This record gives sequence, structure tokens and C-alpha cells, in this order.
Amino acid sequence: MRATFFTVKKRLVVSLIVGLSLFLIISIRLGYVQFALGNFLTERAEDSWSRNVPFEPQRGDILDRNDVKLATNQSAPTIFVVPRQIENPTQVAKQLSDVLGMPVQKAYKHITKVTSIERLHPEGRKVTLDIANKIRDLDIKGVYIAEDSRRYYPYGKYLSHVLGFAGIDNQGLMGLEAYYDKELKGEEGNVRFFSDAKGKRMPKIADQYQSPVDGLDLRLTIDSRIQTAIERELDNAEALYNPEGIVAIAMNPNNGEILGMASRPSFNPIEYQTVSPEIYNRNLPVWSTYEPGSTFKIITLAAALEENLVNLQKDNFHDGGSVEVGGAHLHCWKSGGHGSQTFLEVVQNSCNPGFVELGDRLGKAKLFKYIKDFGFGEKTGIDLQGEGKGILFKLDRVGPLEAATTAFGQGVSVTPIQQVAAVAAVVNGGYLYKPYIAKELVDSKTGTVLKKFTPEMKRKVISEETSKQVRYALESVVAQGTGKNAFVDGLRVGGKTGTAQKVKDGRYMENNYIVSFIGFAPADKPEVVIYVAVDHPRDTLQFGGTVAAPIVGNIMKDIKQILDIKSRKGAIAKEYNSWLDPAPIIVPNFVGMDKSKLQTQLVELKIEASGSGNIVKFQSPAPGTKVKPNSKIRLFFDEEKNDKLKKK
Amino acid sequence: MAKNKQQPSPDIFLVIVTLSLLTVGLIMVYSSSAIWANYKFEDAFYFAKRQMLFAGVGVLAMYTISTIDYWVWKKYSKTILILCFILLIAVVIPGIGMVRGGARSWIGVGAFSIQPSEFMKFGLICFLAKYLSENQKLITTFKSGLLPTLTLVFVAFGLIMLQPDLGTGAVLVATCVVMIFISGARISHFVWLGMIGVLGFVGLILSAPYRIKRIISFIDPWQDPLGAGFQIIQSLYAIGPGGLFGLGLGQSRQKFYYLPEPQTDFIFAIIAEELGFIGGVFVILLFSLLLWRGIKIALSAPDLFSSLLATGIISMVSIQVIINIGVVTGLFPVTGITLPFLSYGGSSLTLTLATVGVLLNISRYSKI
Repeated sequence: MRATFFTVKKRLVVSLIVGLSLFLIISIRLGYVQFALGNFLTERAEDSWSRNVPFEPQRGDILDRNDVKLATNQSAPTIFVVPRQIENPTQVAKQLSDVLGMPVQKAYKHITKVTSIERLHPEGRKVTLDIANKIRDLDIKGVYIAEDSRRYYPYGKYLSHVLGFAGIDNQGLMGLEAYYDKELKGEEGNVRFFSDAKGKRMPKIADQYQSPVDGLDLRLTIDSRIQTAIERELDNAEALYNPEGIVAIAMNPNNGEILGMASRPSFNPIEYQTVSPEIYNRNLPVWSTYEPGSTFKIITLAAALEENLVNLQKDNFHDGGSVEVGGAHLHCWKSGGHGSQTFLEVVQNSCNPGFVELGDRLGKAKLFKYIKDFGFGEKTGIDLQGEGKGILFKLDRVGPLEAATTAFGQGVSVTPIQQVAAVAAVVNGGYLYKPYIAKELVDSKTGTVLKKFTPEMKRKVISEETSKQVRYALESVVAQGTGKNAFVDGLRVGGKTGTAQKVKDGRYMENNYIVSFIGFAPADKPEVVIYVAVDHPRDTLQFGGTVAAPIVGNIMKDIKQILDIKSRKGAIAKEYNSWLDPAPIIVPNFVGMDKSKLQTQLVELKIEASGSGNIVKFQSPAPGTKVKPNSKIRLFFDEEKNDKLKKK
Repeated sequence: MAKNKQQPSPDIFLVIVTLSLLTVGLIMVYSSSAIWANYKFEDAFYFAKRQMLFAGVGVLAMYTISTIDYWVWKKYSKTILILCFILLIAVVIPGIGMVRGGARSWIGVGAFSIQPSEFMKFGLICFLAKYLSENQKLITTFKSGLLPTLTLVFVAFGLIMLQPDLGTGAVLVATCVVMIFISGARISHFVWLGMIGVLGFVGLILSAPYRIKRIISFIDPWQDPLGAGFQIIQSLYAIGPGGLFGLGLGQSRQKFYYLPEPQTDFIFAIIAEELGFIGGVFVILLFSLLLWRGIKIALSAPDLFSSLLATGIISMVSIQVIINIGVVTGLFPVTGITLPFLSYGGSSLTLTLATVGVLLNISRYSKI
């Protein structure tokens, strides 16, 4: 008995030790939860206690290279409710529905919803300041007004495909708004208050404010002045020709900066919801692919010159109107052909058989090597969505016929931006640049440049000397050949026309062309390359030289002023020998002339007279201006005697 | 009747520790329940007032029972046990037993209802103390000592599991095992039984899907944060932010409807939140002192019966504390047992105080 009682005592002590050890273990566990897991649990717990009233960041502006705002924000607050804090839902629903113009039942549904926080979508989102003030004046418990903004595009349709648009949550959906959404968007902030599990504010705990981080401003390479000129010319062309579409790109050939880009049909970004996605999804200057036509001859020419296969001045070529390649007859666009000509004239005349000859001299391997080196068949990598890459013949499937047509721009499919980048490389001394449109990311408050996008030179394709020769040849195209309508006095414009028959279901369409012109200026040191293509212009001769070249010429005229390009000497003199392009008339000085004397002066000008009297007081255009024959001259007549009458 | 006018005085230390725990409990029941009480009954003191009443009744019972000499329990242990069994069988019969919190564990009418399983714990402790003290030599044998004892324990456990109430059942079995161990059973038997016990426990858990859910939720409560893991996550959200000193008395955030019924099983979470690690350890320290005092009484008890009775009582309280705090801190799966002296609840509080009364009576005859 005593021995067993001893066992009992021993085991009691063991039990005490075990029990105390277990108490120690739960104490350690308590410490582990409070110290080791403390931060994690506190963070989670605060998330579960807190209700966030979001504060939207300001989306960054999109600016042109001179800080003209192209996309910006208008203040438009959003109304939130915390349903559990609403004391009299029926009355509040009535008040809100009155101010916001939403049905009472809908408002009631929102404010009685079992949720921590509710947006009054869509009537209470992005409201006017006036409505926000009215709501603020009502001072309803549980109704909050959060800073918010609405995207705004001051120029409407202007540059719309490039800018794209942002949706109601300020999220970029299309164009640059989508491409640079991460940078433009910023970070959401909020006011955080602690609430109990039933949604009421917990007493004695201060609200926390986390300020939103505004998005960065995006400064583009676009020059809004150039863009304005392009948009205006496209509007005019659209009115004049009623085409299916128009594409225009202006680029700085020396670094790949896009100075302007536009297309038709266009749309107003604010109204994107009413626009067909086919329109806003397709940024034609980078998306569309088609046969380039003769503008592509620039590539063949550059390749042949680089390989020393032709001397433009000395080598002669006889164009009999067609050439036989691989059993097929390839016709020149001019029936009967251009006859005997130098290769410079081949370029000026855009003579197809002449370029077949150049392609033949190059051979298919070299021709296609240059085509690829100039960037065709691959995306340029421009920072815009939806870029196409075009189609080239596979080299092993290129026969003599395919090589021949490729040499003058048929049977290949390219994008406008590829052509611009390639021609820029041809004329800038041979350097192929990646086109780009975002220049800098800027802190919207301080204006500090946070990121600079630098030009990216991909490769050198041809020599400086070849480049110079091509420039000369293309300047002569404008001065003396098919591109005369792009001529700008003193600017030395060079360029090439293109007229490509459209293909549908593998067949050429009847009387349906994409007419284009790619130009650059000044020819001695190009500062801009402009490409314009008009898809199926109506009621006109469908020639690049007739339709697209004048558009480029008009844009060039503006750019000369905008970029302050000095007038050049040493230009190739313009030839006036075509019915398409009559010699201009120099406007004489009419001021001070008597009405009777005028008759003898007016051979090829029309007069629009205004005022009364016999003496010309003012004239427009000014004397010395070159105008086309049969242009209108406005004259304002006055009586000398009238001046004397007034003095009395 | 059983009063002895020359009774020695009870262990005053045990009284002080008990009353300290009771005081902390009353304060914390008020603090943790005020928000909920105000919301539900528009009276912040609703639970606190009732707990005060229970505490009064409990202390009265503790005092009264401390004057009833302990051998009475030996004398009536069989009767008590049979009564407990009758109640325990009655409670699982639908129509007699009432379902509260998912278990059919209450019997009686309204405020006068009781939990037979709570009584069973005491009844079995009394009976085992008597049986083991009278058959101490037999307990070293398996067939005629250990097996019948365990059979009895497991019949009681089985009845409790019919409710089902795993928490109370676990406390009951663990308490009995401690008593059998103390009384001198062979260690080798324990090793074998331990292995069987583990297998049995696993079997029980696997037999009921909700137990598996609780097991999973205790390993990673965030797998099902709104279901099985909800209580433990809310408990940890209270304890975690408490830190060393706590948010201050009355400053709990989790009591704002996040932690369901914070005044009952999870009151320790609110203590750790408001009073911090310091407060939590202080409470655990009070329970450690209680354990130490209880074992000391058992060590110096006048006979084997009273020694085993004291052991049973102090084991029961301590095991309940360890399981409850283990659950609240995420160490064990959620089982739903109260924290003695602190959790709100009349049945639990008065019975615990009454059993401390028995312990106090033994202390009158112990040479501490």
C-alpha cells in the first residue's frame, strides 16, 4: 500500500509537470500568433474591417510634341453609397432619383443592396460638377462623392485612330490609350474607414487616406500642326473624291518619329460606342495591307543602284509597251510604251518594262534580299496596336514572272507604315529606323521626363551615295515626271506615284484602284517623308499623280512653314509639258488699273469683282503669285471720288 | 447533515486564484458581449448581469459544497453515476433533449436547462475515484482492472458522442485516463491503449464529414474562410492585432459582430486582443497556479479516494483550459468547449465552481 501510494505521488508530480508544460506550450503558441503572425493577421484583419471609398487617379494626358493636349480629363465625380449607413432608404432613394434622374425603384435597390459599398451605376457615375454639388448639399448620411474624371478629346475626330479611347473606368481600350494604359492609368487611392461586421462605422478609429497616384503624361512625336494640315487635306479629299478610305503618314526619316498619321473613315473617340468596331479597330496606316503599285519601284531602284547595275543617265531602255516574261506579256501603264529613254526617264515615267529590266538585272535573290532588308514582310514594331506585316512571295516559289511583277510593285502586299519606313531609309542615307509615336513619359505634376523613347536604327541597307542618286531621281519625278502635282516651289520635293489595282478574291477588280504618292523633302537633306493613299477615289482619273500627289504637295507646303524649311536653290526645274499640269500664270499687278484696261490683261484668268467704281483697290492673290490657268482673281473696285466725298 | 463544526479551514490560496479567475471572467464577459448584447437586447449588460448571477450562485454552491465532507461523494457515487447515465440517455432522445449549437445536449425548461454531459464528468470522476481507490491492485491487470474501467468510460463517452459533443467527450476521456494513470496502471498498457486511442480518434474523425472539415480548417483555415475556417480566422484576427499589450480593455474590434458570440467559447481571443500577450499569459498563469494548487492538495490528501477525486477535478479543469486555448489560438481543431470560470454560461460556470468546492473540502483535510 505504501509503495503504491508512493507511485501515486510520483505520478501526480509527473502529471503536474506535464500539465505545466502544456500550459507553457499554449503560452508559446499565443506568443507565436501575436508576434510571429501578428503583422500578417493584422493586415488581413484590417482588410476585413475596412471599407474603401476609392479615389480614382487622374489619367495622364496625351500631348503632342509641343505639349498641345490631345487627350485629357474633365472632372466628373462619382456617387457612392454605403447601404448600411443609410437611415431612411425610402427618402434617400427619392432624393437621389430626383437629382440623378434615375427611377426611384432603381435608386432604392442600389441603396438597400447587401454590400459594403455600392456605385450608382451608371446614372451616378461621372456626373457633372453641378449634380455633384447638389448631392453634396443634400448631405445624406452614407452617400459619398468621390473624385473621378471623364476622358476628353479636345479635337474630336482628330488623330482618333492613333489616340484610341478609354472606357468609363478610365481603362484604355484602343490605340495609344490601350498601348500605354499601364503608364497613363496611375494607381487608385482610397479613403479607408473601419466598420463593424454590420457595415456601421466602428467608433474611435480614424479614417485612413491613401492618395491616388496620377498617371503619367504621354508626349508624342506627333506635331499637331502637321496633323492639322493632314486632317484638313484628308477632309478635302474625302469631300472631293468620296473614296472608300484614305491613309496618310508623315514621318521624320532621320529618326523614325511619326509627325502625323490619319485615316478615313475616322470617328470621334467620345462616341466610340456608336461606331462600328470595324472602323475603330482598324488603324489603316498600320493595319491595312495591299499591293503598293509603283511606289514600290523605289525599292527596286535603290537595290539596282546599290548593286551598280544601272547608270541612270547613261543607260538607255526601249519600252515597246510590253515585255514578255515567262510566257506572259507585262504591259506598261502607257499603251504603246514610252519608247527609247534613259533609266532616269524610266523612273520619271514610272515605266513598268524598265523596272522589269532592273529586276532582271538584280535577280530574284538580290531583289528579295533588299525587299526584306528594307523591312517588308515583317512588322515595323511601331508602338501601335494591330500592325499588319504584309505578304511576300516565298523565295523558292518566285519564278521569273513573280520577280518581274514584284520589281514594279505587284504581287506583294505591304502596309503603309512599312513603305514609309523603307522609303525613309532609302532617302536618309540608307538607315532603316523603327517608326515610333511615343516620345516621352512625363510626370504630370512636375513636368519631369521620366522615360524617353529613343530612335531605334535597325540596320543600314544602302550607301549614302545610292541614297543621293535615288533622291535625285525621285526629285526629277516630281519636277519632270508623274509626280508634278506634288511640286512645291523652293522645297525640292521628291517622290513617287503609285496606282495599284485592288485585289478581291484573288482577282484584280475592275476600275477600282488604290492611288498613292510617297514624297519627301527637301531632296538634298530630307526632313519629312509623307505617304498618302486614297482607296478608290470616284469621279476622277484614278492615278496617284492626279489624286494623291496634290494632297502630299499641299501638306508639304504647310510643313515648309511649320518646320521653317528654308527655300532651296539647285532644285531641278519644273517642266510644264503635260495637259495634266499646265504652266502656271504669274498674276499681274491690277491695283490702280482702270476697269477698261483690264480686258486686255485677262487671257487665262477669271475675274470676280466686288465693290463699285472703276479703279482696282485691292486684289487677291497678290501680284507675282503663280496660279493655274483659269484661276479666279478677286478684285475690289472703288471710285476715287468717293474718298473725297467722305472727307466732306 | 454532513457538516462538521470542527472542520479545518480550506486552502485560501485556491480560493484567491478561483476568485481572481472569476473576476477576470466577469469583466471580460461584459467587455466582449456588450456590443452584441446591446444590438440584440438593447442592454449592454444583458450577458454580464446574468453571468454575475451565475457567479453568485456558483460561489454560494462552492462555499456550501466545501463544507460537505468529501466522503459523501464516495458514499453516493454509484447513485450519482446511475442518475447521470439516465440523464445522458434521456438527452439524446429527440423530444426530451434540446438541440443547441448543432448538438442535442440540453435537457430541461428554458433557463433551468442543464447539460447532462457536464454532470457526467463529475459523476464519473467520483465513481472512478471510489472504484480505483478500492481496487488499486487490480488496475495493474488488464482483464479484471483496466478493461472494465475503460469500458465504463467509453460507454459514457459513446453516449456523449451521440449528441454529438466531441469536446466534452475528449475532456471526459482525458480526465479518466489521467486518474487511471495516477492510480498506478501499467505504463505498457498505456502505450498500447495510446495506439488504440489514436486509431479510434482517427476513426471517429473519418466517420463524420464535419469533423474532417474542422481538421482541414484548423490546418489551413483560409481554404474555407466563410465556412469551416470562419471561427478560427475571426479568432486569429482578434489575437494577432493584440500584440504585447493589447488594444486596451474594451477596445476589441472583433467583438463588433466579426467573432460570433465572443463571450462564450472564444472569450480568450478577446482577452488576447484587448489585454495582449501579457493579459493572455496572466490568465494562463492563474490556471497554472490552480493546477499546482490542485495537485498539491491531491499530494497531501488524507486518503487515496480524496487524492484521486482532487486529481480528477483539477485534471478536468486543466484539460478543458488547454483544449479551449489550443482551439482559440489555432493549435487544435474547433471543438466547442468553454473556458472554465471565464466563458459565459450558467451551467458550465456553476458546476465548475461547485467542483472547486469539492476540492476545497478535500483541502480542509490535506496537510499542505
